[in-house]
Amino acid sequence: MKRSHYERLRGSTSLTARIAAAGLLLFSLITLLLIPNIMLSSVKTKSDLINNTMGFPRSFTLENYRTVFVEDHFFRYMFNSVILSVMALASLLLIASMTAYGLSRYKFKGNNFLQVYFLLGLMFPIQLGILPIFIIIRSLGLINSLWGMILIYTANLSLPVFIFSRFFRSLPRALYESARIDGAGEFRIYAQIMVPISKPVFATVGIINFVTIWNDFFMPLVFLTGKQVRTLTLGIYQYMNNFLANWHLVFAAVTAALIPVFILFFLFTSQLVEGLTAGAVKE
Amino acid sequence: MTLNKRPWVGFILPGFILYTAFMILPLFTAVYYSFFKWSGLGPKIWIGLDNYKSLFQDERLSSIFRNAIGNNFKFVICALMVIMPIQLFLAYLIDLKIVFYRFFQTVIFLPYVISTTIVGFISMLVFDPNIGVINEFFKWIGWNHLISAWFGDPDRAFTLLMMVIAWQGCAAGMFIFLSNFKAIPAELIEASLMDGASKRQRFRHIILPALEPAFANNIILGTIWGLTQFDIPFVIGGTQGGIDNSIDFMNLFFYRFAFGGGYYGETSMGFGAAISVVLFMIILVIAVIQVKFFNRFNRE
Repeated sequence: MKRSHYERLRGSTSLTARIAAAGLLLFSLITLLLIPNIMLSSVKTKSDLINNTMGFPRSFTLENYRTVFVEDHFFRYMFNSVILSVMALASLLLIASMTAYGLSRYKFKGNNFLQVYFLLGLMFPIQLGILPIFIIIRSLGLINSLWGMILIYTANLSLPVFIFSRFFRSLPRALYESARIDGAGEFRIYAQIMVPISKPVFATVGIINFVTIWNDFFMPLVFLTGKQVRTLTLGIYQYMNNFLANWHLVFAAVTAALIPVFILFFLFTSQLVEGLTAGAVKE
Repeated sequence: MTLNKRPWVGFILPGFILYTAFMILPLFTAVYYSFFKWSGLGPKIWIGLDNYKSLFQDERLSSIFRNAIGNNFKFVICALMVIMPIQLFLAYLIDLKIVFYRFFQTVIFLPYVISTTIVGFISMLVFDPNIGVINEFFKWIGWNHLISAWFGDPDRAFTLLMMVIAWQGCAAGMFIFLSNFKAIPAELIEASLMDGASKRQRFRHIILPALEPAFANNIILGTIWGLTQFDIPFVIGGTQGGIDNSIDFMNLFFYRFAFGGGYYGETSMGFGAAISVVLFMIILVIAVIQVKFFNRFNRE
């Protein structure tokens, strides 16, 4: 058995492990008390919430959700977030996989340079250039437009290209050769053979970037100042500025923003982990 | 057709143009903007190095700058000296498969997918001086001397911020260590068991060296994490970076000059650009040192 050494180690550290587990349990309680509490609080009435902040709801109301979504435009924000995340993701996946395919399938002069070039974004996050980006986007007339945001998210290519490249390089060359013999064009080989077999990588890159884009705060803060284009994270932020007045409503807004990522989290934990650790350990 | 001879051009070009225009060139055009006095609209006035001079020499601005960059470095040190060992320890425990390890792994990971505005909300829920859960709790059990302003107290704000950020973000580094643990060949550890190495020796001489790739990655990620911090301090402490700038960072400082307006009267894109250039330079120097040290790209 490959992992027998740990079987042996486990016995020898059992006391330490138990103490550690107790510590971890304490730590987990923070998360486990807070998150469900927020969700439960979202259905409390305002007076129940004030007297009974941490307890189980004594009242049940969907009025908070109605106010948040209908009167305070969270339908709009939710819609913006969904559209932005989906479109930006689609465009990022297409461009990143094509770039990575070009880099890993063909040999040409400058290939090594380009590979390193595309990695630079891992060192120098996109926020560093935000001011010139702002000026470009403004001159394109795309401030307060989801299209501008899609461009910026799509440009953030370093990690996606890296993950895709690693996968494409691992594919046997014969796969590609046999498609060529069939007379398929280069783009058809990519679209009809390579993309279908790379579904797991698309899932990995897709899920990690979906969460990043869905949760992003900085870019919307800078580029989406109009009320019509606000995303969920911005909407929640505006709510918090008027915290005491909206106190009972924030819980509903936060719950609405949490549920989609939690669903993804529980469905795709392993892809998320894969995306997080991509490139971390070289075999 | 050149595209038929060089099919790679068609695949790479769209990505190359977007990436160059929005990721790489802005790093350099920021240098250009930093030589101007410019509100973002209207004429640019060439002022040479004046923005940098005010950043380093102007009494008021330079003290804000030093405080912010100091906090960034404090953050990096915390990330590497405190959070990273915790991540290593957590990964070690999970790799050992302690009781409920799957459960712990999930719970540690969960906050990672929560958006930073929501993390800000959660920390308000806990630490708000008037309605926060912690003060309520201390009142309830009668430990009134422990009631505090928390983020309103400049001596505590930074430590609290680090705790909140660690709670949210420590999963990433933990998983990097964990995947490295899984890649350690079992024979290596079996051999050390045969040789009768003690637990400490085994950890020091077998496991730690084998974890070098994870350390390299986490050091780089932790450094960038600390130097580009923005969201959570902004959501918790506002544009000014908390009471007495206790949780002010370079990116916040940058934001209020480049976009924030209001706080110091006028928006100054030139000055904002100078701030981001300094930050870029710092990251560049650190990146060069780290790449040399870990030889990251060559091992690919």
